[in-house]
Amino acid sequence: MRLLWHTVKELFRNLIGHSGTTISSLMSLTLLFLLFDLFWIAAGTSERFYSRLLSDLEMELFLKPATAESAALALHDSLKVIDGVRTVEFVSAAQARERLAELVGTDLLAGYDSANPLPASYLLTFEEHSLTTAAVTAIEARVSQFENVDQVFYGRRWLSKAEETRAIILSLGMILGGLILLAALIGSANNIRLMTQTRAVGFYQMQILGAGKLFLAAPFLMEGLLISGLSGAAGWAAILWVRSRISFTRFEPVLPEPSEIALFIAAVAVIGLISGYLGIRRMLK
Amino acid sequence: MSTDSIVECNNVYMTSDRGEPIFEDVNLKLTAGRSVVISGAAGSGKTTLVEMILGLRFPDSGSVELFGHCLRPRPRRLLKRIRRRIGGVGGVFDLVPRLTVAENVMFPLVLASERRRVCHERLMKMLVEFKLLKQASLYPRHLTRVEYTLAQFARASIANQPLMIIDEPSAGLDPDTYERVFEYLVRVSLSGRSMIILTSQAETGRLPQSDYLRIENGCLA
Repeated sequence: MRLLWHTVKELFRNLIGHSGTTISSLMSLTLLFLLFDLFWIAAGTSERFYSRLLSDLEMELFLKPATAESAALALHDSLKVIDGVRTVEFVSAAQARERLAELVGTDLLAGYDSANPLPASYLLTFEEHSLTTAAVTAIEARVSQFENVDQVFYGRRWLSKAEETRAIILSLGMILGGLILLAALIGSANNIRLMTQTRAVGFYQMQILGAGKLFLAAPFLMEGLLISGLSGAAGWAAILWVRSRISFTRFEPVLPEPSEIALFIAAVAVIGLISGYLGIRRMLK
Repeated sequence: MSTDSIVECNNVYMTSDRGEPIFEDVNLKLTAGRSVVISGAAGSGKTTLVEMILGLRFPDSGSVELFGHCLRPRPRRLLKRIRRRIGGVGGVFDLVPRLTVAENVMFPLVLASERRRVCHERLMKMLVEFKLLKQASLYPRHLTRVEYTLAQFARASIANQPLMIIDEPSAGLDPDTYERVFEYLVRVSLSGRSMIILTSQAETGRLPQSDYLRIENGCLA
């Protein structure tokens, strides 16, 4: 109990005795974590944007002109059971003509009243987990094997570009996030190292009297944990406050779940704990 | 290894960083309840002996045993445990600058995880004994030399550790205070605690249950 009391007292002595360092630590870490939070929101928002965009992907299966209507309809069940396929829609030749007329107008179709050159087709949409180049290519290969399927079309290039963009955003986000957390770790460790250097004599004296590593390090570990955790929480508090004041009309930013935010604060507190250890490590040797 | 052995140095040989010999075949045995007064000129190695006993420096050859344990750089936990059983005054035993006098004096009890009530009772006893009540909330930098030394004595006495090391007991003390401190040392000596007193003065007064040695040319005799 005395040890805990001494540790807490030392912690507050550190924080108050070096108030300038404490405030600058809090501010710099809050800004860093705020930047991290904004990247997180941006990544989440763009992820949802791309998910919505990709969910519109359709695959068109044109049937051979000679395919009988009954054979075409029989294909429906075979397509429906393919893993990753969400919906299957049959478009008869007549429906295709109607849709074309809606798109280009009836003038261009003059003279084709009796003869309809358009083939019947199937429109497939995909489950979310199958919206990748690999999965869609696999589905394409599968449907191409059906006897009555003539040609298969979908936005192959568009899909791969969207996938690439998504991967770039994810990689960039992870690199920047990693750099921000590294900067937080180094900054916090340096602040604590500076504080410990001003107390080198006291450390030596305490060691001579029998103070152990944990006894000496505990206030600094707690300091790292507290300042980092508070900074992490302050960043989110600022974002949530701003979010409550501003309404978005064109798009809705995607904020993490409260449990994810809590986890993030706990994680940055642990980073603070590690920075506390790194800051004091040399002094304990 | 006798169970009542407090300090035992056997054939200690030690050189300085420049390679000059500090100790040549030093032997010292201090048993529980006994004290030893070691006198020697400045630079004769008194403080180095203290550093060796605290495990801050290690001999080139020979062995140093404290409370039956041979001192080695590792494990550190053993050094920590041994140091907690030693109270010290003067020399390397400075006060912790960031702690108040009361906190400094109470520090050995904090390390020993003593209960709050016990800590305060013993602290008050020490502050009264060494007339430091008014200085309790001051930081070491605000103390006079006498007050500083008395605070060290109070800290070295509060936990009743089995060994007390006093490096130059008269340093910074006026004759009256030294007389008071000497009376205190006599009481400590009679109480059964062991002491190692290092002094550069030939005459220190006679302490009961004590041996008198002189350190000269790297030897203890």
